[in-house]
Amino acid sequence: MKRRDFITKTSAATALLSFNNFELFAAPKIKQKHITILHTNDVHSHIEPFAADHPRYANLGGAAKRAAYINAVRLENPNVILLDAGDMFQGTPYFNYFGGELEFKLMNMMQYNAATIGNHEFDNGIDDLYKQILNAKFELLSANYDFTNTILNTHVKPYKVFIVDGVKIGVFGLGIKLEGLVNKKMFKETVYIDPIEIAQDMSRILKEQEKCDLIICLSHLGYYYKATPDVVSDLIIAEKTANIDLIIGGHTHTFLPKPTVAKNKDGKNVLVNQVGWTGVNMGRIDFYLDENQTKIKAKEPIIIV
Amino acid sequence: MKKYIIIFLTIFFVFGCKSPQLTVSKIEGQNIEIKEQLAVKSIEETIHPYTVKMDKEINTVLSFTPKIISEKDSKYETSLGNLMADLCYEQANPIFESRTGKTIDFALFNHRGMRAEIPQGNILVKHAFEMMPFENMLLVVELSGAKMEELILFLLDEARAHPVSHHFQMLIKKDGYSLNINGKPFDKSKSYYVLTSDYLQGGGDNMNFFKNPLQIIETDYKLRNAIIDYLSKHEVINAKLDGRIKAE
Repeated sequence: MKRRDFITKTSAATALLSFNNFELFAAPKIKQKHITILHTNDVHSHIEPFAADHPRYANLGGAAKRAAYINAVRLENPNVILLDAGDMFQGTPYFNYFGGELEFKLMNMMQYNAATIGNHEFDNGIDDLYKQILNAKFELLSANYDFTNTILNTHVKPYKVFIVDGVKIGVFGLGIKLEGLVNKKMFKETVYIDPIEIAQDMSRILKEQEKCDLIICLSHLGYYYKATPDVVSDLIIAEKTANIDLIIGGHTHTFLPKPTVAKNKDGKNVLVNQVGWTGVNMGRIDFYLDENQTKIKAKEPIIIV
Repeated sequence: MKKYIIIFLTIFFVFGCKSPQLTVSKIEGQNIEIKEQLAVKSIEETIHPYTVKMDKEINTVLSFTPKIISEKDSKYETSLGNLMADLCYEQANPIFESRTGKTIDFALFNHRGMRAEIPQGNILVKHAFEMMPFENMLLVVELSGAKMEELILFLLDEARAHPVSHHFQMLIKKDGYSLNINGKPFDKSKSYYVLTSDYLQGGGDNMNFFKNPLQIIETDYKLRNAIIDYLSKHEVINAKLDGRIKAE
């Protein structure tokens, strides 16, 4: 190293150091931002609560009571992102008679921000799904379904960045392999792409290009397949990616008593959650973010589940 | 010296004027039961007209049954399974005949494929939805003799009441079986047309013998619609066991 360069660099470092010291003296106390993520999955057209004599879910669920909970949370903290991890459709005659119209209408009223596409969204065919999507006031997100040669082209985005109270929240969607699960006539030219690679790309784009503070994966892949552990699932996505803070899952109707804390590719924590089905439960994840005037070395956040 | 000032200023602008860094310091996660919350009125009011319209339709009377149509009344067959397989055959065979000029040999579905029993009394549209909440389609597969043998072994192995139409008569013996299809002994040199659902054809419920058949002929007929159409044609339904599959 040249002597002159050395001096330059040292001086710069000293300047930075003294600037930081000055900052420390004048340091205001740390400001905190609070973002609440609420989520459902596999509601399956369960518009009404279960009957009082239902053997398992007596009086549970129902859109009107779910809306009450969402409203209560919004009063407590207005900085809410409301998400659904797919299979909003199919399961009660409300879907069979009205084709998903009421499901989307209620989600609009509850101010859902985004949902991903589950396999049952194709039950009346992709053309009917398109008609329903035109009425949705929330985003339909899927990063690994290529809809280029279908009617849904440009109507479904891979991801969306929400800015809430100055916090950038990147949400991307992942869907399950449709072949063997849904009649080809229903999904037509929809192309399924390997969700692991897509999730790696998405988390990089959201972190590096979009500079997101929080990254959420909205997945309909399923929590984990014990009998066939190689089949891609949320726990595999967690393990093979970096920078994702939360994976909200669906499809397997898994009732998690609390979110799972998994480890990502870099050994860091990632939350994986799923709340059964039919809207009997709702997931709630609260993120607290500290505002720092200078870049500090990232510490692992405290997780309370 | 001037150069150092520039460096200082650059650093100042890079670090000093940057928007604050956000770092996650704490995360809390919990899953909340939706049970005790007081329903939101505007949501209930939005749902109401849909419910009224739907209730009217799903409570339409289609037929009548003097007794419960059960799916657990015997080991190898059930009255619900027999009804279902026979009615699907009756509804789908004319479509198949008109499209191919051929006749379906028999129908095969899966035990518990019907998701609810039919209670004694009036049979409503609602019951059809409870039995078949999915949008499964009826289709016909042409199975080779070898695939038919797989099918038979599967039925023997499972020893459950997988619904078959009355065209399929099987006696399970201690050392094998005898099988007649439409009154003729099973002939493994021949292929057979079997009516089933798109779900089972795709390998659902491990019925793998339905995969890769000689050919698939679609009916474009929803299973639930076949149920509704059949029930609305018949004033009274007398579903029964007739020993189409039995053990010695």
